[in-house]
Amino acid sequence: MTSMAGRAGFTSFIGQRWAVLFLVVELAFFSFLAGGFFALNGVQIVLFYSTTLALLATGETLVIVTGGIDLSVGFVMGFASVVSAKLSGGFTDRGLPPDVSLLLAILITLAIGLLPGLVNGILVARLKVPPFLATFSVQGITYGISLLLTGGSAAVNVPNLANVIGNGYFIYLVPGRGISFFAAPAVTPGTTVIDIIPTMVVVTVVFVAIVAFILKRTRFGRHTYAIGGNIDAAIRAGINTSRHLVMIYVISSFLATLSGIIYMMEYVSGKSDAGSSFMLDSIVAVVIGGASLFGGTGTVWRTILGVLILSVLEMGLKMMGVQTFDKYIAVGVILIFAVLIDQFFPELIHKED
Amino acid sequence: MGDRALGLNRGKAPAPAVSVLGRNWAFFFLLLTLVVFSFTGKNFFALNNFQNIVHLATTSLLLACAETFVIITGGIDLSVGFVLGLSAVSASSTMQVLYAAHWSATASILVGIGVGLVSSLACGLAAGILVSRYRVPPFIATLGTQGIAIGVTYHICGGFPVWYLPPGLTDIGNAYLLYIHPRTGAWSFFARPASVAANQIKELVRVFPMSFFLIIVFLVVLWHLLKNTKFGQHTYAIGGSMDASVRAGINTRRHLALIYVLSAFLAGIAGIVDLFQTGTGNFTTFGAQLELFAIAAVIIGGASLMGGKGRVLASAVGVLLLKVLENGLNLSGVEPFYRYIAVGLILIVAVVIDQLFPDLF
Repeated sequence: MTSMAGRAGFTSFIGQRWAVLFLVVELAFFSFLAGGFFALNGVQIVLFYSTTLALLATGETLVIVTGGIDLSVGFVMGFASVVSAKLSGGFTDRGLPPDVSLLLAILITLAIGLLPGLVNGILVARLKVPPFLATFSVQGITYGISLLLTGGSAAVNVPNLANVIGNGYFIYLVPGRGISFFAAPAVTPGTTVIDIIPTMVVVTVVFVAIVAFILKRTRFGRHTYAIGGNIDAAIRAGINTSRHLVMIYVISSFLATLSGIIYMMEYVSGKSDAGSSFMLDSIVAVVIGGASLFGGTGTVWRTILGVLILSVLEMGLKMMGVQTFDKYIAVGVILIFAVLIDQFFPELIHKED
Repeated sequence: MGDRALGLNRGKAPAPAVSVLGRNWAFFFLLLTLVVFSFTGKNFFALNNFQNIVHLATTSLLLACAETFVIITGGIDLSVGFVLGLSAVSASSTMQVLYAAHWSATASILVGIGVGLVSSLACGLAAGILVSRYRVPPFIATLGTQGIAIGVTYHICGGFPVWYLPPGLTDIGNAYLLYIHPRTGAWSFFARPASVAANQIKELVRVFPMSFFLIIVFLVVLWHLLKNTKFGQHTYAIGGSMDASVRAGINTRRHLALIYVLSAFLAGIAGIVDLFQTGTGNFTTFGAQLELFAIAAVIIGGASLMGGKGRVLASAVGVLLLKVLENGLNLSGVEPFYRYIAVGLILIVAVVIDQLFPDLF
């Protein structure tokens, strides 16, 4: 955005990066206090854990930039995990090879996953329903449908190939022998194999990067900010706001669906409430990233910082052995402090406004 | 949150001719659902069922009132659901401990209520100070107090409902004003007539749950507070334009802090009500989404998350609409899983009709 480019000097450098500073402090803190955190595996666990939230939050960023809110992402994610799990299991049962059935299931789920977004978008853009209400209704509908599909329990009949891919790594390094990509090398048991970068992290990074690029560099992105800044002005400037808003909600729903598929691959099951706790987290990540719920501000990479801040906190506290409910206190206090520091030292960490 | 964001008010004032009906679409829709479910729902159109709906909606109504004030100022309070749980759990634990220490039931209940309300006020004060004095975005501030409320709640109750409370809680919470036994003509106030045996309880006609009193008092007081007092005017003013309010000499900081204290206080009362209705200190489960439900009801009532708009009674109608939908679909024999879908679909249809035919309403 232009205002970012206009500021110069050290304060502006820090100012745009207070979230980075906070993340660094967090990492340092847990590296000292949480055993095993500062290790390749610790970092990878955090990244692996962040994948689903990162995709949800990326979609949420687009919606929040336009001044809307998407409450349905969590249950769309659950819905997608259920549909993809059911489909892949069903195809395998009908005699299709696992790779074909998994691929088919993923493609079909991605297509179906556009529907909730389309409904959201049409309601918000064409029928002028407040985004909160539209997505609140759609969240109930998707939740109901996924409960119907599963009968209220988890869908677990997923081919093992999903597990192999979902919990696989991008690079396998066998010291002194060589490396292999995607597939674990056939070595004698006992040989050290270093796993680098979970495959699902790679997939997530690719999609997040695409959306980040679209929002930052393309006309589509500029129009998104324009709509969030002032929708009347955007209309007068000749932007087809209605079509644009539909697209935004469809993209958000698509990313939520992708997130559900990744969940299915990682946990080898589909659950209707897989994403119920992530919905709020995704909005929190966007807000930590400095976006305003009133629209017009927010970038994907700052949202990702928000996601990492949340995930590092979550995983770090878990590795420190902090009780689940103490974690909520810690997250609450730390969130408030992060924002307070931002408020008390505006020169130190001044955000663009 | 920037000043620009606070000053932004996208809500368009409705044209006077359609305003009365247009602002009350939720109310008309509520009437419609009542009529429809009276035909489709088994035992829906019955005194007992209507009393039940409102009785069970008491806590949601209080939360929606709380959220109404916050949303009018352009804020959002994510903590109400868990403040409810904190209040219920801290109140009930206090009662449990005191009663076990041979305090009288009355004394332990009263002290318990006090502790519950103080704990909720503390949450509200924290959120209020953060939002008003340190300008933390309401979303983050109340998310923080929510986390703290969850943690403290689970520390107190250890993840289990609080039992072994002084006797008589549910007798108060579920009491009715009037009990009539049609066959013998026996009647009495506040408790079952002494002449009616326990096995005849099913024949009793119970009229006017005591929770009605509570909710009517709260609705009237809060409606008056928002509509007819300076406090209410200032609330709308802050939501309309923060800058203008400051220039108009409103002590916006104190006012905003008070709003969040009020919100948490109402959530605390809701927790106490829940305790009296169930006889158990229930913590709020993670997936409960009570705050989402309350916010949705407020928005159905015509408020905008951008601030400046919202009415107490309209929010109450929003709550009742959602509750009647659930109850009516249930009594019409719709399975639970389909109910989620149906509520969503009906909401969409209602809102869309409201948007498509502004002249109709």
